[in-house]
Amino acid sequence: MSLQMEDLVMTPPDGTVMERVEQQVERPPAEEPAPASTFQVKNLSVWYGEKRAIENVTMDIVSNAVTAIIGPSGCGKSTFLRALNRMHELVPRTRLEGKVLLQGVDLYSSSIDPAIVRRRVGMIFQKSNPFPTMSIGENVVVGLRLNGVRDRIFLNERLEKSLRMAALWEEVKDDLDKPGTSLSGGQQQRLCIARALAVEPEVVLMDEPCSALDPIATAKIEELISELKSKYTIVTVTHNMQQAGRISDYTAFFYIGRLIEFGETTQIFSNPKERQTEDYITGRFG
Amino acid sequence: MMIASKHILGTFEESLASLRNNVLMMSSLAERSLEQAMKGLFDRDDDLCANTIADDEEIDQLEMQVDKDGVAILLRFQPVASDLRRVVSAMKLSTNLERIGDMATTIARRARKLNCHPPLSEVELMKPMYEQAMSMFKDGVDSFVREDADLARAVVLRDEKLDDLNRTVSDKLVERMVKDRGQLRGYLNLVFIGRCLERVGDHATNIAEDAVYAAAAEDIRHQHQSLAPSV
Repeated sequence: MSLQMEDLVMTPPDGTVMERVEQQVERPPAEEPAPASTFQVKNLSVWYGEKRAIENVTMDIVSNAVTAIIGPSGCGKSTFLRALNRMHELVPRTRLEGKVLLQGVDLYSSSIDPAIVRRRVGMIFQKSNPFPTMSIGENVVVGLRLNGVRDRIFLNERLEKSLRMAALWEEVKDDLDKPGTSLSGGQQQRLCIARALAVEPEVVLMDEPCSALDPIATAKIEELISELKSKYTIVTVTHNMQQAGRISDYTAFFYIGRLIEFGETTQIFSNPKERQTEDYITGRFG
Repeated sequence: MMIASKHILGTFEESLASLRNNVLMMSSLAERSLEQAMKGLFDRDDDLCANTIADDEEIDQLEMQVDKDGVAILLRFQPVASDLRRVVSAMKLSTNLERIGDMATTIARRARKLNCHPPLSEVELMKPMYEQAMSMFKDGVDSFVREDADLARAVVLRDEKLDDLNRTVSDKLVERMVKDRGQLRGYLNLVFIGRCLERVGDHATNIAEDAVYAAAAEDIRHQHQSLAPSV
């Protein structure tokens, strides 16, 4: 059988190639669905005595993403972070208005136990704070023990899992009985992250987690944050603009208790919409 | 247009100002080179052509200086937002300015060859192209300096006219080549000069696009047909 010219020509299924290309070009881009939110913050205001530290803040915190809170000292960013797990209530004479919904549940409802909130929403502080009288291993599982878990096999499994997630297992697996305070500053901070992860929270809040660390330890924590976001929603306060740019997906800029601008980090750091944001991140404030 | 308030770091302001000054110096030199090269062509002046060729070295040196200073600013200050856009745009501008300097040099070399032979009346065909290319170049740089996105967008739209002019002039020169084969080399040199002017327009367009990015954080490259001045 001889080969005919028609056999060599591929016929497009519908219309000419150009028509199909034009159809593709003219097709409007599909709208991306809004990302799922872990927190919905609505008209949040927080007072310390007479002083209003947070003023009418409304924002959604996207799940499985890193949200950075930036702003000058005293702008309310740490207060905002603490309001996400009711930690601010530990300060006397605090008052709060508005709503903080965690997966749709109002954290400030009278039926909610703050201790359970803080288990679901873990917190890492500026300065690492391992319990000084406890070993590395005890530090990690102390939260579980306080919640009544006694099963040694379960505790050991959770210990290893948490230390692995905090990228610390390989460094301490042979020294689990040594004091937590025997570790370096960066390791202690990762130990605190492991301790927070051991109770399997949904959210990890971080209040300037790298401000006391050297660049290497900082890089390890930043790397860890990027890895953890696949499992957790992370909200971090930072004074370091470059760090916010490196690690976060969303950035919120606070000033004098108000949320000035909130958006994707690339947008905030390349083309902020608000003049105050621009002035702050470029170093033209005040 | 947004006039930035003063930066907390005086050293950053100084570094950025120095970077912009070098870019402006490059644009002045590139403009002068293009003027000299075209005057050397129109007036059959070999000295002007030689000056153009000699001046290119200074533009090349400035391009390297701008790159070096830009990298240093990125490294030392890690600028963001409008500051980042200004630094990135300045570095991109310098590349285009250096290429415009190269175009001027090529024109000067072609002009010198033409000056060795009897004058061609078709040299006049270059004038409208030169005027269009030069005005685009000047306005492109102006839009960057003034951070005027509307002016920059208008520059981008003017490139099509320059392309049309180049096509028309090239067609005419090809016609002349067919009729007058004795002047083939001369006409060919003019075709190349036209091509250089068209390329100057392309670089002016790039400069204008970078000016829009610096001023308005918009990337308008590769979408000229949908551009319209914003009201």
